[in-house]
Amino acid sequence: MSDELKSNLSQPSDAGPTAARSTMPIWIIVLTLLLLFFGAVYFDHHSGWFDKQVYAPYTSADQLALYQPKSGAAAAQARGRPAYEAACGVCHGSDGLGKLGQAPPLAGSEWVAKDVASLARIPLAGLNGPVQVAGKDWNLSMAPMGAGMSDADLAAVLTYIRESWGNKYGAVSTDEAKTARAAINGNAPSAADLARMTPGERGHAVYQKFGCAQCHGPDAKGGVPNPNAKTAEQIPSLIYVADGYTKDELINFIKRGERDIPRMNPAGPEPPHFMPQWGPIITDSELDDLAAYLLSLKPKGENLGF
Amino acid sequence: MRMNNKLGVFLLGLTALALLGAGMARAEDQLDAETKARIDKYEQGPATIDVSKYPQGIQDNYGTFSQKCAQCHKLSRPVNCDYALPDEWSRYVKRMMHKPGSGIDSADGKKIYEFLTYDSSVRKKAMLDDKLAKLSADDKAAAVAKIKEVHDKYDNK
Repeated sequence: MSDELKSNLSQPSDAGPTAARSTMPIWIIVLTLLLLFFGAVYFDHHSGWFDKQVYAPYTSADQLALYQPKSGAAAAQARGRPAYEAACGVCHGSDGLGKLGQAPPLAGSEWVAKDVASLARIPLAGLNGPVQVAGKDWNLSMAPMGAGMSDADLAAVLTYIRESWGNKYGAVSTDEAKTARAAINGNAPSAADLARMTPGERGHAVYQKFGCAQCHGPDAKGGVPNPNAKTAEQIPSLIYVADGYTKDELINFIKRGERDIPRMNPAGPEPPHFMPQWGPIITDSELDDLAAYLLSLKPKGENLGF
Repeated sequence: MRMNNKLGVFLLGLTALALLGAGMARAEDQLDAETKARIDKYEQGPATIDVSKYPQGIQDNYGTFSQKCAQCHKLSRPVNCDYALPDEWSRYVKRMMHKPGSGIDSADGKKIYEFLTYDSSVRKKAMLDDKLAKLSADDKAAAVAKIKEVHDKYDNK
């Protein structure tokens, strides 16, 4: 046995093995936190939040077939539904049954059964005044909600209306929608005319195109009845918007609309008319012109002194 | 034990960051909800203003403001909102005034505008100064002149 080994064996083992401890470097902690942060952002954007519609959307092959691209009338109907919900469903209802005091039904309506040109005139030009639908009298006004739609979208919406809720009146083609629009727009200014006009003049054309006059009057002085609206049961005049809005504020308001009209009698019925959300329907350049027109309406020389 | 505390703080930090990350990602979808929340916040604030130290004319105008504006909305909305510049109040009052059935004529509208402009220059002075500082030189001069006009009309009278 060597001297060294003897010496080691003779040493008392007074302590066990110890592990060295050192602090975790701060950059690892920061990096981990950053990775987790961006992980959370990525998770939020791409995970679908564990919704079963994301991870297991179909329960059968038949169900899957329902979601396959459609052609012809079926495609138009599929395309028409979201456009209908956005532009028409708020008043006429997702079930096409209409709403009392707000909009007549489309399900079983004789107006839906009419020829395409007559039906298309309603969304293209709006409808104001008494009308009989399915044996009931209605006296309301509807803005031309289809005036800003493309011919294909208009055809799709009309097809959806004519082929839903038990209606079986056939599809509407894009060409038919185009022809109906051309018949109504006969007096509308041409592109060359529009190019020569001032922004205010173009805005007046926009005012007419989208049927603002249906509710706010041909001279924008308002006065169309809106029962139980806090605004003296009438749709407001627009001739003083220059007093209350900057151009940006006015454009934003038109885009946003006002769905909930304050009621004169809180316990009374909902006022039938509201300001539609025009943002998805009127283009930005048209909105710019429309604002220029509306801001020009204030009577000259009127000064409130503040 | 010390290690457990550190681990706890670390995990809490992670959770907070993860929630913050998810929240930030969702923020863009909640603009409308935020606008509504902002209005709700205004309306939850106080609905009255202590005008005892304001000039008598402004105190009278406060009466007009309280009576007319409360017809349609909570007074706490204009009292606590982020309008402070004379032009902001002018547009806001005229917008309300021109609503059919508002019952606010031009004389009432002017009284309400003067009250709100005066009140903003006192009670919301910090907000007003901040807004003035962001205006162009011309706009700032015009705003300051409008505030002065109201003070000159009512102070020491």
